[in-house]
Amino acid sequence: MLRVAFKDLMARKRRLVTTGIAIILGIAFLSGTQVLGGVLNDSIDSLVTDVYKGYDAVVRSPEVQESAFGEFRPPVDADVVDQVRTAEGIRAAYGIIEAPTVQLIGSDGKVISSGFGPPTLVFNWIDDPIRPGRLNAGRGPEADDEMAMDFATAEDNGFSIGDRVEVVGQKQTAEFTLVGLLGLGDEGNLTSGVKPLYFTDTVAQELAGSPGQYSYIAAAAVEGVSEEQLAESVSAVVPDQQVVTGDQWTEQNSEQIAQFVGILTTTVTVFGVIAVVVASFIIYNTFSIIVAQRTRETALLRAIGAHRRQVVLATLIEAALVGLVASVVGLIGGTLLATGIKALIGTAVSVQGRNCAAHPRHACHGVRSGPRGHLAVRGHPRHPRIAHTADRGHDRGGGGPYRPLDITQGMGAMLVVGGLVLIALGLTSTVDDELVFVGAGLFCILLSVAVVLGPLLAGPASRALTWPLTSRGNVTARLACENASRNPRRTAATAAALTVGVTLVVVIAVLAASIKSSVTEEIEGALGDVDLIVSAGQFSLLGVPPQVAETAGSIEGVREVSPVKFGFFRLLDDEGRRIAAENPDPDTDAEDAAGQVFGMGDDAPEGEDVVANGFEPANYFELVDLGEVVGNPEDSPGSAIAAQAEVAEERGWSVGDTIPAYFAATGEVDLTLVATFTNGLGPEDKYYLSNETVAANATPGFDIDFAVYIATDDNPGTRESVQAELEKLTEDRPDVVVQDRAEFIEAQTAIIDVFVAVVYGLLALAVIIALIGIANTLSLSVLERTREFGLLRAVGMSKRQLRWAVRAEAAVIAVFGTLLGMVIGIAFAIALATALTADDPGLLTLKLPVTQLVVITVLAALAGIVAAIPPARRAARMDVLQAISTE
Amino acid sequence: MSNPTPTPQTTQRGVAAGAIDARKDYGDGDSIVHALDGVTVNFERARFTAIMGPSGSGKSTLMHCLAGLDRLSAGRVFIGETYLDTLDDAELTTLRRDTIGFVFQAFNLIPTLTAGENITLPMDLAGRKPDQAWVDQVVRTVRLTDRLDHRPSELSGGQQQRVAVARALSGRPEIIFADEPTGNLDSRSGSEILEFMRAAVDELDQTIVMVTHDPTAAAWADRVVFLVDGRIVDEMVSPTAEAVLDYLKQLGT
Ligand SMILES: Nc1ncnc2c1ncn2[C@@H]1O[C@H](COP(=O)(O)OP(=O)(O)OP(=O)(O)O)[C@@H](O)[C@H]1O
Ligand SMILES: [Mg+2]
Repeated sequence: MLRVAFKDLMARKRRLVTTGIAIILGIAFLSGTQVLGGVLNDSIDSLVTDVYKGYDAVVRSPEVQESAFGEFRPPVDADVVDQVRTAEGIRAAYGIIEAPTVQLIGSDGKVISSGFGPPTLVFNWIDDPIRPGRLNAGRGPEADDEMAMDFATAEDNGFSIGDRVEVVGQKQTAEFTLVGLLGLGDEGNLTSGVKPLYFTDTVAQELAGSPGQYSYIAAAAVEGVSEEQLAESVSAVVPDQQVVTGDQWTEQNSEQIAQFVGILTTTVTVFGVIAVVVASFIIYNTFSIIVAQRTRETALLRAIGAHRRQVVLATLIEAALVGLVASVVGLIGGTLLATGIKALIGTAVSVQGRNCAAHPRHACHGVRSGPRGHLAVRGHPRHPRIAHTADRGHDRGGGGPYRPLDITQGMGAMLVVGGLVLIALGLTSTVDDELVFVGAGLFCILLSVAVVLGPLLAGPASRALTWPLTSRGNVTARLACENASRNPRRTAATAAALTVGVTLVVVIAVLAASIKSSVTEEIEGALGDVDLIVSAGQFSLLGVPPQVAETAGSIEGVREVSPVKFGFFRLLDDEGRRIAAENPDPDTDAEDAAGQVFGMGDDAPEGEDVVANGFEPANYFELVDLGEVVGNPEDSPGSAIAAQAEVAEERGWSVGDTIPAYFAATGEVDLTLVATFTNGLGPEDKYYLSNETVAANATPGFDIDFAVYIATDDNPGTRESVQAELEKLTEDRPDVVVQDRAEFIEAQTAIIDVFVAVVYGLLALAVIIALIGIANTLSLSVLERTREFGLLRAVGMSKRQLRWAVRAEAAVIAVFGTLLGMVIGIAFAIALATALTADDPGLLTLKLPVTQLVVITVLAALAGIVAAIPPARRAARMDVLQAISTE
Repeated sequence: MSNPTPTPQTTQRGVAAGAIDARKDYGDGDSIVHALDGVTVNFERARFTAIMGPSGSGKSTLMHCLAGLDRLSAGRVFIGETYLDTLDDAELTTLRRDTIGFVFQAFNLIPTLTAGENITLPMDLAGRKPDQAWVDQVVRTVRLTDRLDHRPSELSGGQQQRVAVARALSGRPEIIFADEPTGNLDSRSGSEILEFMRAAVDELDQTIVMVTHDPTAAAWADRVVFLVDGRIVDEMVSPTAEAVLDYLKQLGT
């Protein structure tokens, strides 16, 4: 019987391959995402540990500013280093500069942007093993015009030792000679993706915006002194600083990164789940076809006298062999896939370089910090929220126990009911997280629609789709139509894979288009009288060079110049304290309690952390349309705060009140409410500080103009000439752009396109699997119809016609799946938009990107045809006589 | 009984198809099988010819080669004026579609198409408009008028074969090849089909070549050709069932 099983296997190589492909795909996607998550976590852990492995204790300011973008502390003075060096048990102590305040300029003269990914960092060169990173070529910078950098950054941008490299800082652009290359690991040959640049102390301090100061101080213990002992003795000599152990420091930093990686792996896993759902449709399909094929064969075997046991054994052996081989291949494929996704994420979001890890502490800096990042959040605040919650929605929906072989109409119905209940709960706001509920509900319905409604619709849909051709008597189309609808369950299951993918694509497309159009409208409205906007490249802390704000006013035709800064601070009013009391920060409390912080604990009073834009008192509220402004924005410019009217009312503030606040750099400060306005530039745009207030209280490196708004005379041509003048003014800063309103809006909404592109990239996986599924199903169908095709060829169907019949069938399936996905997707988008705007009507106006949707459908049909090329070719190549005589 | 080795001959009727020293080998070396071992035969226009012979004698092979479904190892076959070896694959396909009709023993119909669609399939493939009056007449003759909208699975075996014959006839091909068309049918359905084929020859001047094992079926033909071991061994004009049976018995010994 073993021989029978084996012979059978060999005789049906094609069936073997198709089953195998289905299993391989499923396993590959599942294992791929697992492997990816694991690899990311592991390598991050080890690299973070590696970067700071020289640190035994870290001395930093106890002043801390929490913000949505992370934790900021003011720098420590250089003379503290000398005090630290007097501590007992200390081998060495150095002030460290670590600041994301520079960018490199590539050989093409353009700024090398960090995008969302790990940032470019300034470090000061320290000739001691304490220094993060090991030299692997050249030497450290000794003169002020020398620098060293991460070897990967150098490689990526074609820099080699001896080259002159241009670096942009907040205040200046300067050229340095590259004298050394560094990396992580003992050999200095690993990289984290972050771009560390090393300069002499003075240069580094200047670039970081804190002359005479360091970001923090790192200390190493002599042999035999533990980290705790060192931290203890250091805190004894610098009692008014905060001291943490090297381990604690590393842990805090990797936590920050872990969060980021967590989001990343969750996202990837969500797409993995989608891919697996899609793949299970294919596996389901393949097996049901094969079981049908086998039934006849088994019956024959039984008829000629094989025992039931023998038949079962043969089947099991076949299944086991196929399963084993396919799983192994799938695992290998999954690992390769993980590498692929890594590369994909790497390029799309530039998370990291070749070693699949992020640099400690700042890996996520690019994502969370940078004034432009702030603006982006402000400009379209619901955009990240959608992405986030929608993901979670899918996660729940897709994570359920989905077993395609058991799916019956009953389960489909249950899914629909369950989905509807979830959506109802979400839409009626009976639960907190509407989006999660709506998302999960939608996913349930999507599955059930694909599985239950699909088979019912497959027949009529194929007829409708081919009608234009069949009505004119095209027999090829007629055959394609009949073949697509002869087994509606199979067609539906094949199409369902595509339906799931297309639904998600359409939801994203519709929501993105809607968000884009509402954001555009909103920015257009808010820009008021602003004609030109000067800003630095996105995701950078460089800001617009100060001379723009200083000198732009003297350009011919400029009416108003309004620089915009931004700042973080903590509101200490009653409401702020109440909020803080209700949400104690688990991190800080835990770390204080565990005694891991030596010396001063965090020295910030309890309150609510907020972000504010800076305004130019003289003209901001005239240039920008924030609705009705009450009060005089020009009052008390050194301590002015403006608030959105509703917020002010809720907090019981009225114009003229004193508002207690805290800044990490300057401590407690009394602000004066000088004005209220009715419309923020979005729901998060609640507070403004005058630019002077920001400048007076900013942590070094954060006192920057992230944009300068400019109004010009209305004379024709003035705007263009001013734009040209401004461009000349910022000539040496290739990262600074001068945009008119249209260009600005375009740039602001570009981030949506980037996001959509990344999501499309991930969904493309699902769509590709779906297409392979179509190819797979068709191959099996073609096999089943060998005799039929033989007959068709015998009575005079040409090879071309036969190929087209198969391709048209694939196109019908693909378009059917796509249209179904499109309808469901649009419905979902409407539901999601409703859920999103439940609290805030008018937040989002629904907009259907018609052209895009048509393109998607046409592409799906073409993709279906492409997917059908191999089976079609096989069908056409069949030997007619053999085909006719096939059983 | 005449002429054990017939040569191509022209009659006033003309020749619809034929083979000249046709040879077809399968395999090679020791295991070589001469499925056709020098067959020369003519099929006259508007005549009904039966091919008989023991199993494995090469009947189907001969028919497949004549119909352009397979190629000879040596020798030539022709349909009308055309030698098939001069045609490429695509031309052969067109030839099958436009000038040849087929009836197989089983699985003659496309299951997804209705009886009516199956009947006009070759013309639809050609993108040609069927001659509706003619098709109607064929359909009436095979008594399928009320079954045209049915799928093959909804028809009896006899009805399915009638559809197949109707399809073979509907395009007015030069010649129809039928490989054991009644092999799967009971004798009543079988004779219906045969009667119908006879009528097509007599009334419509159709040329039909049919392979059969059944002497009764062969008796409907104008002429029977006997094939043994890939060679034509004899032929019989205006055969009767008894005469054919006797001849076969004699062959068997
Ligand atoms: N594809 C093939 N490969 C090898 N040998 C073949 C092939 N097709 C036919 N043969 C051999 O050629 C010979 C003639 O076969 P053919 O099918 O023409 O016989 P037949 O007269 O139609 O028999 P039956 O009455 O059983 O249908 C047989 O010996 C057969 O084994
Ligand atoms: Mg035969």
